[in-house]
Amino acid sequence: MFSETVDSTRNDLYVGLAATLITTLLGVVVGALAGYFKGVVSDVLLGVTQVFFVIPVLLLILLFARVFQALVFKGLGLTLIVLILAFFGWSGIAFIVRGETFKLKEMEFVQAARSLGAGSYRLLFRHIVPNILSPVIVISTLNIAGFILTEVVVSFLGFGDPNTSTWGLLLNEGFPFVRTAWWVSLFPGLAVVFCVLGFNLMGDGLSDALNPRLRE
Amino acid sequence: MTGYQTPSTRDSVNEWARRLPEKLLEVSNLRTYFFTEAGVVKALDGMSLEVNKGQAVGLVGESGSGKSVTAQSVLRIVPRPGRIVDGSIRFEGEELLAKSDDEMRKLRGPKMAIVFQDPTTSLNPVFTVERQLTDILTLHRDLTKEAASKRALSLLEHVGIQEPEKRLKTYPHELSGGMKQRIAIARALSCEPTLLFADEPTTNLDVTIQAQVLELLKQLQKELNMTMVMITHDMGIIADMTERVTVLYAGKVMEVADTSTLFKSPKHPYTEALLKAVPSVKQTRALEVIPGNIPNLIEPPSGCVFHPRCKFAKDICMKQEPPLEKVDERHYVACHLWRELKLEGRG
Amino acid sequence: MAEMQTTEDTGPPILEVNSLVKYFDVVERGIFQKKKVGDVHAIDNVSFHISGGETLGLVGESGCGKTTTGKVILYLEEPTSGSISFEGMNVVETFENGQQSDRKVLRRRMQMVFQNPYNSLDPRMTVYDIISEAFTIHKNIPKSQWTDRVYELLRMVNLEEYHAERYPHEFSGGQRQRIAIARALAVDPKFVILDEPVSSLDVSIRAQILNLLIDLQREKHLSYLYISHDLSSVRQISQRVAVMYLGEVVELARADQIFDKPLHPYTQALISAVPVPDVDHKGTRIILPGEVPSPINPPQACRFHPRCPYATDICKQVAPKFEDKLVDGHFVACHHADKFV
Repeated sequence: MFSETVDSTRNDLYVGLAATLITTLLGVVVGALAGYFKGVVSDVLLGVTQVFFVIPVLLLILLFARVFQALVFKGLGLTLIVLILAFFGWSGIAFIVRGETFKLKEMEFVQAARSLGAGSYRLLFRHIVPNILSPVIVISTLNIAGFILTEVVVSFLGFGDPNTSTWGLLLNEGFPFVRTAWWVSLFPGLAVVFCVLGFNLMGDGLSDALNPRLRE
Repeated sequence: MTGYQTPSTRDSVNEWARRLPEKLLEVSNLRTYFFTEAGVVKALDGMSLEVNKGQAVGLVGESGSGKSVTAQSVLRIVPRPGRIVDGSIRFEGEELLAKSDDEMRKLRGPKMAIVFQDPTTSLNPVFTVERQLTDILTLHRDLTKEAASKRALSLLEHVGIQEPEKRLKTYPHELSGGMKQRIAIARALSCEPTLLFADEPTTNLDVTIQAQVLELLKQLQKELNMTMVMITHDMGIIADMTERVTVLYAGKVMEVADTSTLFKSPKHPYTEALLKAVPSVKQTRALEVIPGNIPNLIEPPSGCVFHPRCKFAKDICMKQEPPLEKVDERHYVACHLWRELKLEGRG
Repeated sequence: MAEMQTTEDTGPPILEVNSLVKYFDVVERGIFQKKKVGDVHAIDNVSFHISGGETLGLVGESGCGKTTTGKVILYLEEPTSGSISFEGMNVVETFENGQQSDRKVLRRRMQMVFQNPYNSLDPRMTVYDIISEAFTIHKNIPKSQWTDRVYELLRMVNLEEYHAERYPHEFSGGQRQRIAIARALAVDPKFVILDEPVSSLDVSIRAQILNLLIDLQREKHLSYLYISHDLSSVRQISQRVAVMYLGEVVELARADQIFDKPLHPYTQALISAVPVPDVDHKGTRIILPGEVPSPINPPQACRFHPRCPYATDICKQVAPKFEDKLVDGHFVACHHADKFV
């Protein structure tokens, strides 16, 4: 049981990290562009973000999985889960980034760079984005945990791929035996808990480490 | 009051005391430190101040001098992680540091009050103007709601607010800086305190509004015979509004004198430098620079705290902290070399 | 000790601003659309010129439009109308339709030092990066010389070479302002807009920075637009002074004329309101009634008339002309200025 849990770690981490990477990238780019430019571009991006924000990702995945199963007789593969998570999960970051970009755009050090002749690209990616990293990193790290949890739920409910071993799957298999062989669920359960806790703490630590103000 | 005195002794003491200028506030050797993660910030390190009844006294210094902390210490509202660690504050003859929180609370408002620098943060944003005032009135003066409202209205009139009935129902964010500061003044004066601290009350205001507010403070002080401590970095305000002034630097007193004496014959190099570094709207002259920066209050310089920036500094200045010495009856200075130095004032 | 330049040291005009106007839209946001409901008259018909090596002080209280004027001149904000001519180049045209290379030239020749030293330096860049950013953008110096040039600039503002490795938060306000000045000088400008450069600094530090600015001006024959609400420091550094009220220039003259013999009632009130650090000073303070009106609906004709102690009927009906009829070179917009000559 223990070794199976360890084995699954690879898969769960894959889901968490891959999804987070994509959502962060997408979120930052969309958010920064939406916050920096005025007019049609910004309004359109904002609208799109808002639409994506309200879609309940978990339900969508479950729905999709059901349909998928009916069509192709397979459970949702990991990569597919990652893609769906990524496709719908970037809006939270985009909102935050947009808000911070608004604030930073008017800050004097950005104006100063403009007065030196810096173009929009330089302003956005050399000045604004590095200064919004702190909240973004914290949220991304929390997202890793969140995405892993989503996967766990999906697999636990039986919608995942029965062939790839994940914690959710293990929990799913162990569920009927919870009364008698409760330890079967113990390892994957603990793994989830420690994983989520670990990433949360890491988010905190990273945010502090990246703050030049605390560099002594 | 401590001690029991027979009526006759007490009466004769009072009689005698009435003939002397009454010392309203006497701060001695006050030390207020802030215990931060980075170290202990010695915001006030042996500071003293004397204010007589009815006087307008100035407390002048730059950032880090401890002038705001002084007012906070007297009212005992020093924010954490600050704490008064030593010294004595006597108000109307009573030791404030010996009082309990409850007793202090009864003094704040009726006996002493502060007008803060930024009215945007010192007024509660979710209270109407009326409530800002009636809150304090009902707390200290036991008035009914109607009586408090009436008093609030008259207070607004008193501080020169136009259409006061309308203003009562507005919120701070709907008002301009000058108006907010007038309301902050009204609030501070609502219980008719004996002592008013004005902590940089006009720094955030436009010049013409500043003039209005300073005139108002002057007028109110005369009318109410109020004792006022004007805390500022602006030597112009000191010249205009105060009769006596204390110069603070890095938590310590540098010089104390009557305002005109301080301006015309300063005895401390910092005072002289400050007077020379301030530009005036009345004339163009070369500004003299004070080299260096405000010192680190966690590790202040040894000896005289001003010595690293003082052009006259000698060996003794680095080793020994200069005590506050008497120049004459009304003039004190903390400098080892004051007798030898020939300093220039401002006519 | 720094001594201010006299008017004789200056050259021909290098900056000419004519009838500059900037309105900001006041917008109401609905669910699907925005509706413009008014204009903020930030600057209205502002004209002045600055000569080579000269400092023009621009004074006024909050909301008068002085900071906006600075930003518009540098084309950090688009003007609504009007023209800006710098060293013969039409600034607005260059930024709207001109060549990238011309725009870069303008960005090198005109620079700005901002108000808040705690916000005007990117907290994530080292001092070296901040100052050398100019070189990255303009590529006017070969990379091998960058370090030398950065050190040279630091020395110019009385900082040390080892400061280049540090981050902004490690410096005091005065030092940060020096870094900002070094950054502005990195591109070798001819004209620098100084927006309240010393307002957030302590008194003893202000003198340091003001003297530095005066010295640099003399060494490099720079022109300054010194924007400030602190009249005392304006007097210190400016040869000529323009006074703004609610988006308009109401008076423009030599510094001594403005301070010793102001012709506009607002200027008079402004100067009399400044506390003078002199115990024998016995001026009467002119207290203006009321508050500065909103720039969204400025008063008709003379914008100052609601608060002016001398206002008459004509002031409410006819906007006064900005001219120097009474004293040569001393421009004022007031129907009754002749009273004060």
